[in-house]
Amino acid sequence: MQGPLIDTLARQGITRRTFLKYCATLASMMALPPSAGLAMAEAIAAVRRPSVIWLPFQECTGCTESITRSHSPTLEGMIFDMISLDYQETLMAAAGFQAEEALHNAMKDNMGKYLLIVDGSIPLGLDGAYSCIGGRSNLEILKEAAEGAAAIIAMGSCASFGGIPKANPNPTGAVSVSDIIKNKPIVNIPGCPPIPAVITGVLAHYLTFGTLPELDDKKRPKAFYGETIHDRCYRRPFYDQGKFAKTFDDEGARRGWCLFELGCKGPVTYNACATEKWNGGTSWPVESGHGCLGCSEPDFWDAGGFYKALSMPADPLKIASAASVAGAAAGVAISVANRAKKGAARSAHETTGLADLEK
Amino acid sequence: MSLDAIPVHVINTPPAEPGLSGNALPLLREISELLRHLLETGATGTIDLSALPLTPADLEWLQDKLGEGEIAVTLQANGESTLNETACSGVWWVVHRNTQGAVTTQFIEVAWVPELVKAHPQDVKIGQESLELLISDL
Ligand code: SF4
Repeated sequence: MQGPLIDTLARQGITRRTFLKYCATLASMMALPPSAGLAMAEAIAAVRRPSVIWLPFQECTGCTESITRSHSPTLEGMIFDMISLDYQETLMAAAGFQAEEALHNAMKDNMGKYLLIVDGSIPLGLDGAYSCIGGRSNLEILKEAAEGAAAIIAMGSCASFGGIPKANPNPTGAVSVSDIIKNKPIVNIPGCPPIPAVITGVLAHYLTFGTLPELDDKKRPKAFYGETIHDRCYRRPFYDQGKFAKTFDDEGARRGWCLFELGCKGPVTYNACATEKWNGGTSWPVESGHGCLGCSEPDFWDAGGFYKALSMPADPLKIASAASVAGAAAGVAISVANRAKKGAARSAHETTGLADLEK
Repeated sequence: MSLDAIPVHVINTPPAEPGLSGNALPLLREISELLRHLLETGATGTIDLSALPLTPADLEWLQDKLGEGEIAVTLQANGESTLNETACSGVWWVVHRNTQGAVTTQFIEVAWVPELVKAHPQDVKIGQESLELLISDL
């Protein structure tokens, strides 16, 4: 089982070319230079599978669903062949004492080297009694597992920012992983749930370079969270022209106009849905006619209503003059601000829009 | 301050045809540069078309200018990929699709033969071994 990865893949009928193609796509998705695809393939093919421990805390299993039900099982599943997933309660056959033993063995054997994936928030209320596994609180388990981890991946908005459990009035006292662990490298992959390709992209990066990818100020990988949904939205030309749907069934909605006035949080949400899409590239929320909920941003649940239009350009844009103007005027203001912020991005997202429409 | 106040003049005005962004022409120069490099040093080069601000019209224009070559390779690996030579020898247009048939990435590869087409020595060795086995069984 522990030979070079390419042999493990070959035994499962995954050819070298399939793997090379996967790496080329991955490199392009992560905005690495094209030559990186080949380098990645070579590095990953030779790597021995690192041990991964996956701990579920206060969560709904949506993150696990997202990745295990991702579109092409062979593709996303491939990355799971690249790691040795030593503990994952939902997926593993073992239960009870056997499972606990597997966890402790994995931690002991790979001390200081394993990758820890966490999904779910950690409740601190009532001494952590709101969520316990095998009689131990999530807090206790997290602290113990983090101790020997090389790095931690906080998977999903709950582990990254506290998520829905932390929504007002936060009855369980839920907090994020980085609220507790301060002495380990942590990468947040927020989203409710996160995009499967983003999860695997981060794992592939770790396998290739042995490090975590470059992160933004919220510890999110820049390759996937570097631009807003709005920056890459195919409805953006309508936004720029001030054409907004006013209800979900009006003429504008039927023509595919911008959903800003129906509460779309795209302009303040950093995520890759507009380019990666969902369900095998089939569609994504805005394409199916609903505004973005902003699920990859902290406290999205309490951000003032999913159907309430952003009344002013929020944080990153800070345009005072537009603060009191709603609708079309605010729309233009944000678009101007983004353009100023991003220089040549305009032609880039227009390209995406047209290409996406053509698919 | 309006842009007019800055004494910068656009010399190469982008083509007026609808849908063209003007970004495709510099790509042709880059490809030519990569070809020169290939000839001089044997080093290959790749341009990631999905990472560039190109409109569908730009891509069409580029495809039209590069033309069609003699070789068209189809690869079935988790969806179909096509690796087609352009009329300009050494320039390959590579398109990767997923199992649903959607384009996942597009590259221009400047090489004698695209990397993916070559057989890997390790795979050749496995092929040779199984052939030997087959022969010894006959
Ligand atoms: S406001 Fe929403 S629907 Fe409109 S362009 Fe931005 S992301 Fe797209």
